[in-house]
Amino acid sequence: MFNADAFINEAVEDLKKKIQGNAIIACSGGVDSTVAAVLVSRAIGDRLLTIYVNTGFMRKGEDEEVRKMLTDLDVNFQIIDASEEFYAALKGVSDPEKKRKIIGEKFIRIFERSAKEFNAEYLVQGTIAPDWIESGDGVRDTIKSHHNVGGLPEDMNLKIVEPMYDLYKDEVREVARALNIKVSERQPFPGPALAIRVIGEANREDVEIVRDACAIVEEELEKASAEGKMVRPWQYFAVLLPCQSVGVQGDNRAYGKTIAIRAVESIDGMSAAYSRIPYEVLDKISMRITREMKQNINRVVYDITNKPPATIEWE
Amino acid sequence: MRVYVVDNGGQWTHREWRVLKYLGVETKIVPNNTPPKDLDVDALVLSGGSPHVSVESNKMGLNSEYIDSLNIPILGICAGFQFMCSHLGAELRPAEIPEFGQATLIIDEYNELFSNLPKSFTVWESHNDEVTNIPEGINILAHTENCAVEAIKVKDKPLYGVQFHPEVENTEHGADIFKNFLSIVEAWKK
Repeated sequence: MFNADAFINEAVEDLKKKIQGNAIIACSGGVDSTVAAVLVSRAIGDRLLTIYVNTGFMRKGEDEEVRKMLTDLDVNFQIIDASEEFYAALKGVSDPEKKRKIIGEKFIRIFERSAKEFNAEYLVQGTIAPDWIESGDGVRDTIKSHHNVGGLPEDMNLKIVEPMYDLYKDEVREVARALNIKVSERQPFPGPALAIRVIGEANREDVEIVRDACAIVEEELEKASAEGKMVRPWQYFAVLLPCQSVGVQGDNRAYGKTIAIRAVESIDGMSAAYSRIPYEVLDKISMRITREMKQNINRVVYDITNKPPATIEWE
Repeated sequence: MRVYVVDNGGQWTHREWRVLKYLGVETKIVPNNTPPKDLDVDALVLSGGSPHVSVESNKMGLNSEYIDSLNIPILGICAGFQFMCSHLGAELRPAEIPEFGQATLIIDEYNELFSNLPKSFTVWESHNDEVTNIPEGINILAHTENCAVEAIKVKDKPLYGVQFHPEVENTEHGADIFKNFLSIVEAWKK
């Protein structure tokens, strides 16, 4: 079985040896990168600068939550607002692999600038096994380029350090619990964030739509779980589909977009089954989305595909 | 006990490594072109992978040499299983109905690989091709609704293969199948 305490001791010792001088860490406020930040901070203390990038694709209220979390964590941190840059880079891009690679490269360019200022040679990432497995390599097919692996530009000059390279999410959570990290049970959220939950071009307008829909899905599923109507799924969110359909709203014809609800059960993200959400909970989500978001959305569907053949995220 | 995982490029190769590690054996993932003489191991797992084994056997590296020359227990999984079967005379073809995700395994013949397992349980699949025309010399151990050959044992040799993925969390009794395989390895060493 996995021994979190042994892992922590080994990782901290290893990081002490590996990192000579300063390092920066890319932290999204999720479990993986926060665990990595705490491990490295234990190893090298203030020689680590934690960086949170606001890409413009984060969820509702997330920027503030992460600021508070990093403050509580008592690490040396910096918040960078790069949303203009990200939206500009993704303008007109609809291919999911291109989107992921552009986002990966943008992150690195931003980190390179911060690293220069902080005089750091190392970039620490919260990369875990599914990131490099799915990004592909000489023998493995590329399922999707995770921004922190397959999305890295070739001409980067930072040395990458990935203390959790061989771990899966369930193991990272065990480490997070052993380290008393508050976000240990937070649901997974992809690095490219809402940009890959808008199918097609991730423009501000569509990201705003999917942000609202994600918030409703999260609120309702968390509420239903708290009330004991269901167990909180492993991951749950909304995806904005580019297809329009005809509807009727108050005797008026509607021609709006579609939201897909996605919720899955998994242990490690490498295989997953769609969640059996009770109908009454799905009803509530559907009604809220089509009413509160009637300007844009007039149809809600539930994704009933397992992984494989689907992946958890749509892009 | 030392059991290595031969990497044929599978999405779940590293999962096989994790299951073996959790079961307390010494394990490592090795490329599939590792010369057999460099493999000082008690057993091997041949991982799955993206190659269509029937037309891309060149991507299966030295799997054939491991099967022919090592004389140790080997468990082939998915592409590793398909390669093992085709190398020993079976045919591969694109599955009429491929299996992705959930399927129900039905055990047809109990042997040491499936000991103490129920007659039928949920397994996770991910394959486009399937094995057919199994020659004499190979026993079929299990099937699913859409796939007639889900598990095999080579008669007179410690070679086993499964089309489904026991290393995946969604597969029921997956770790038990690995445990059974390790018991086979233990017995073979004696």
